[in-house]
Amino acid sequence: MDRKLKLSQWIGFIILAFLILVPVLYSLGGALFCNNHLSENLKSFDSNTIKLLLNSILLAISVAFLSSFAGSILGFLLYKTDFAYRQFFKIIFLIPLFISPYIWAVAWKDFFFTLTGPTPEMQSYGDLILVQTLIYTPLAMLITGSAFAHINASLEEAGLMVFPIKKVFFKIILPLIKPALLAAFTLIFIFSISEFSVPAFYGLKVFTTEIFTQFSAFYNYNLAILQSTILVLICLLLILSEQKYLSQAPFLSVSNRGNQIKLYALKTYRFSAYAFLIFWLTISILIPFGSLTIEAFQDGYQTIFKAFELLKSTIAESFILAVTGSLISIFTGVLFAYLSWSKRTDRTSSISKLIHWTLLITFAIPSLIFGISLIKFYNRSGLYFIYGSALIIIIGYMGKYGFIAYKMIENAIRQLPYELDEVAQTEGLPRFKRLQKIIIPLITPAIFGAFILNFMLMFGDLGTSIIIYPPGTQLMPVKVFTLMANAPQSLTAALTFIVFCVTLCIISLFYIIFKKFLKPTYDCR
Amino acid sequence: MTAVKLEHIDFSYDTKPVLKNLNLTVGAKQITCLLGSSGSGKTSILRLIAGLETPQQGKIFIFDQLAAANASLFMPSYQRKIGYIFQDLALWPHMTVYQNLALGLKEQQHENYEKSIMELLDFFKLQAYANRYPGQLSGGQKQLVAIARAVVLKPKILLMDEPLANLDVKLKRQILSYIKQLKQNFDLTIIYVTHDHREAFALADHLIILNKGKIEATGKPEIIKNDQNEYVKYFIEY
Repeated sequence: MDRKLKLSQWIGFIILAFLILVPVLYSLGGALFCNNHLSENLKSFDSNTIKLLLNSILLAISVAFLSSFAGSILGFLLYKTDFAYRQFFKIIFLIPLFISPYIWAVAWKDFFFTLTGPTPEMQSYGDLILVQTLIYTPLAMLITGSAFAHINASLEEAGLMVFPIKKVFFKIILPLIKPALLAAFTLIFIFSISEFSVPAFYGLKVFTTEIFTQFSAFYNYNLAILQSTILVLICLLLILSEQKYLSQAPFLSVSNRGNQIKLYALKTYRFSAYAFLIFWLTISILIPFGSLTIEAFQDGYQTIFKAFELLKSTIAESFILAVTGSLISIFTGVLFAYLSWSKRTDRTSSISKLIHWTLLITFAIPSLIFGISLIKFYNRSGLYFIYGSALIIIIGYMGKYGFIAYKMIENAIRQLPYELDEVAQTEGLPRFKRLQKIIIPLITPAIFGAFILNFMLMFGDLGTSIIIYPPGTQLMPVKVFTLMANAPQSLTAALTFIVFCVTLCIISLFYIIFKKFLKPTYDCR
Repeated sequence: MTAVKLEHIDFSYDTKPVLKNLNLTVGAKQITCLLGSSGSGKTSILRLIAGLETPQQGKIFIFDQLAAANASLFMPSYQRKIGYIFQDLALWPHMTVYQNLALGLKEQQHENYEKSIMELLDFFKLQAYANRYPGQLSGGQKQLVAIARAVVLKPKILLMDEPLANLDVKLKRQILSYIKQLKQNFDLTIIYVTHDHREAFALADHLIILNKGKIEATGKPEIIKNDQNEYVKYFIEY
């Protein structure tokens, strides 16, 4: 039985590695050693490259720091206090996470345009930091909020016996959520440094836009990939240094176990808390959405109809591809997470580590480079059926976002007691029946969460899609981005307004469907 | 007749040794209690017998059939005719009491499984709770459902891992009497793990006292009571 398990894990890993990891290694190797001159190739790292790299790193650090800071305040207010409308705010604050970054970039540009007219200052690195911070703060809120919610009340109450609340926060709560804070920082750093659409829209020079220029304007694949290796190494170094914490952190967790949570009364701080939440609601949702709406409807409904005409053919295709990609990510995530969990004595087997690292590496690689690697690898006879079809998009989605689904599902499965599976084993249920009858029903909320998050990331993906989309395939983000280059301000706003509304409609639809099937969470203890 | 025989068993979790050259025999149709403090290897022995773990060295026989030997598993859990009650019961929280009992029966395509379930629910006085979820039951009721689920497939051996750990004295007494009845009615061999010597003496036909993966004493309760081994004396007097 164990041999069968190992074999199925190895087969799964080999398929996965061939599809997503081999293209990356092939491209990196090719770029480093092309013409057999490693030193020559490394000379292409001139002072301009280093300046761009520093720009990107500084931007990513700023965004990750600010988002983690703001996200943890929101997480604390919404998960650890008796604030009356916290459920409403928890949902509404997630909206920026579900909408593609470039839409927020357009929205903020519209806002400054309305306010001051077109000035060059509004497209500065400060704007970039502001927009990205507003986009990624919900992610930090989710991660830290989940960590806050997992702290057992008795740990804090034991602290309250000896310290005042303030000290309990710094001595007990903060150290307990430190792994989650580090996880949020790392994840946001990777997202931010890989982000291409916002700096490209603002015309700012960062590493990802330079890579895109090398690829699309000069067709210099090797230099583009070579430049990105540094970015990849930085991401991996950051991840490696935090692995110890991350492996135990409630990384993007959707809780399965019931837990007694201690809620703090806001008392005299209630007014300040309200003020902060309303301020955040205003800058993260009301201002950008309001600006977008005003700009889109400036010429009446005409521009909206025109934008819809331009986009309508892409909506269905983008939707189908994102749903397919998410389902495949979920399927592989469940399978790999269950197979590596179901053996109690073999939790850190080498094969589980290989799967983890394969998904992590392709996740950490900037989207553009991942896209370039895929087309370089699949553009050959024998693999044209992938290169020339929507399969390459699915592989791209899987490689870029599969790690998130895997991690969310793995975390949910890890919280289940082994005995639930083992008792079914003693009753003669084969492994996959146990997965179907016992495990999947218990982790449905995590599966739902992973599906929604993966879907939204895939539906709004631009970085990988803009490189790999095959002829005949029309993806909404790519089309919007292409049209935006020469479109007037009002049409750009109308296009993004439609994307915004379509995205929100789809999320609502999924929510309604899943709510019908989603059973309550169970206390497995 | 011997129900379970463990020969020269070496077993470790990762690099941490749990059992070293352990030999153990469990007689059929009797209640054998494994008594020992935390970390003495009691649960590991149950898991090895159940086929949830495989020993790195040594052989395991179930009713004289070789079930596992030297890191190889010859008989998977479901072929061993074993029922297992875990310490935290492991009732499937998303299934009703009835569904908890029915899952294994349906898998093994038992005829008249509904009748078997109803008989068991009747035996444990749980008919009224058939459609309730585990979260809607009291501690004692959960305990009975776990026992019912473990015997519904008519096992020959019932493994119980500290099943009464969190119950009050009155409930413990009630469930201990159920366990004795079970042995009679179902012709069961019961291996019962506990660290509570009072529970063990109240229940056992045969006692095995473990310490750090080794057997300190074995025999009938009245013999163990007079054992002169220092650890045994300390453990049962404590």
